[in-house]
Amino acid sequence: MRTKREPTGLRRPNDPPVLILTSLAAGSKHGHALAKDIEAFAGVTLGPGALYGAITRLEERGLIEPLHSEDRRRPYRITNAGSAALADVVTEMRRISDVGASRLGLTLGMPG
Amino acid sequence: MRRSHDETAGLLRWYPRTWRDRYGDELVALMEDELGEQPPTLRFKVSVARAGLRERAHGTGLIGDQHSPTERTRAGTLLVLCSWTAFVVAGISFSKASEHFAQAVPAASRSLPQDAFIVVAICGLLGSALVVLGGMAALPTFVSFLRDGGWPALRGHVLRACLLTVVTGVALIPLGAWAHHLNQHQRNGGDGIYSAAIAAWAVLVAATLAQWTAAAVAAGRRIDVGHRVLRLEAGLAVAVTGAMFAITTATALWWATIAQRAPWFLQGTATGSNSSPFDPQLVFTLALMSAAALTAGYGVARITRSARAVRAG
Repeated sequence: MRTKREPTGLRRPNDPPVLILTSLAAGSKHGHALAKDIEAFAGVTLGPGALYGAITRLEERGLIEPLHSEDRRRPYRITNAGSAALADVVTEMRRISDVGASRLGLTLGMPG
Repeated sequence: MRRSHDETAGLLRWYPRTWRDRYGDELVALMEDELGEQPPTLRFKVSVARAGLRERAHGTGLIGDQHSPTERTRAGTLLVLCSWTAFVVAGISFSKASEHFAQAVPAASRSLPQDAFIVVAICGLLGSALVVLGGMAALPTFVSFLRDGGWPALRGHVLRACLLTVVTGVALIPLGAWAHHLNQHQRNGGDGIYSAAIAAWAVLVAATLAQWTAAAVAAGRRIDVGHRVLRLEAGLAVAVTGAMFAITTATALWWATIAQRAPWFLQGTATGSNSSPFDPQLVFTLALMSAAALTAGYGVARITRSARAVRAG
């Protein structure tokens, strides 16, 4: 199955970049805080290698940026481009979930 | 705690240097946060190593789309070159395994394995000629690169390759003298110590070829050959990959026909005896050929996906 590929490199909802952007949409975080937050809201455990691989790609694409830190634990924040890319992905996911819900006769509310 | 820190910091060696300089401290801090007082498990280490190798592949343009089409084409072409080196090692192994096979096969059954062998030989020569042609096409740019002070970037690779070449050449002298005192049976597996020495020398040959290839790749990544030559190199890489698939198929066919018509040859037993067609050396040879051909196939896929953008220039 071929899926439409966004130029931002974001694809499936459980892709590490999408999870990281979703986490950073709530505020800046360093690596460990990101991993814990993603585990809490998505139930996905990202290993250090996968997490930093995704952070590298997101920073290259200008979707996140590092904040100054004296500590080795450098926090990252989402950029305007990152917010726009995440909004596109979320809108697309919402459109698909709406179709699925409508076909199943479900009523979807906003998550709390 | 100190040992645990060293172990996690040691995992950074899987990543390219530029990546380590930028993200290394952060990744070590994250690993320490994740592990606490516990040492990293094997699964944890494998996961980080895999991510590091992936980062290396990203850095060279072998995966991902952050590099320009030119860089991706260059990476695909150099991957085919590396695969060809592995193929040469497999080819040497096949040449040894198939030595004098025609004498062991009944005349009536000889034509098919002989034809397969000829295809291997012709495609091997053709592939080698194409690789040499690719090197010659890049030579003027390479010479300019050296004149412009590029030698220090290659010095380590080339010196290591020269050292290995000398060691491999010198090691051949006592081996040749030893072989002179052995009969044909002893030279072909009858003497265990001699066979082990030959195997060790074969490893040296493979290491030498790998080091020269590493030097060529280091040079290939640093020179800008221009669109016209790059297109030629990409075309040659596609042709070399075709030769690799043809050789792999012909080798499999050769093995299958020998296994069916003269299995005694594969075990070195008396003509006409019942023998197993299973030969560890041929298993290794065919596995290496297949892996190299598939890797080259990935390189070609990388080239063709970038071809339109490169043509647009």
